[in-house]
Amino acid sequence: MSNIFDMESPMSRLSFQEKMLYAQLVGLLVVGVYYAHYLVHQQPGQHWFHAVILGLALLFASFRMFLRRGSKSVVEDERDRQIAAIGTQWSNLILWIGLVSMLVMYWDHGGLRSRDFIVGLIFHLLLLAGLARIVRELVAYRMAA
Amino acid sequence: MKSAIRNTIRDLRAARSMTQQELADLIFVTRQTVIAIEGDKYSPSLEVAFRIAHVFGVPLEQVFQYEAPTRRGK
Repeated sequence: MSNIFDMESPMSRLSFQEKMLYAQLVGLLVVGVYYAHYLVHQQPGQHWFHAVILGLALLFASFRMFLRRGSKSVVEDERDRQIAAIGTQWSNLILWIGLVSMLVMYWDHGGLRSRDFIVGLIFHLLLLAGLARIVRELVAYRMAA
Repeated sequence: MKSAIRNTIRDLRAARSMTQQELADLIFVTRQTVIAIEGDKYSPSLEVAFRIAHVFGVPLEQVFQYEAPTRRGK
């Protein structure tokens, strides 16, 4: 509900995009914590883990699409796109720094230990870039709310 | 961070008994963006600014005012 004096609960001030960002943050943390706690110490070949990630991503995309279609009001506007661009900048910066660091490690040591090590690095880099994007966007939303 | 652009949207809206959601729907933005604009925390694009002025039927400068920053010691 909206009224002319804007007397509403803080939760109703969250936009669709912000709610989706919180959902993404929870999803990313669940995947990250699960990976850190269980998969790191197990042998390769955990195909079901990829299936879980894929399933979660599909579930999230369907949920988001369902909500967008069900909403009568505008769900994304110029401010959302501007904030998304800021988040993407941060994410790209972290990916670039990570990739350049990997190259430097390769040039300095003449290799990157093992295949598992490279996969682990890429996974953590993606996780970090995703987290940075979400947190930066949430901060931007709160700063301009 | 507060913008150097001030606006009278809240007053214009109140004078017409218009809710933030109604204004948001008319100018094709989210209600959160209207809240941010009213609080001087977000400066809208020129297009959205013109849409707001058009909805209220007033000139743009009646809705938005620019406050130039003053230099200290001069």
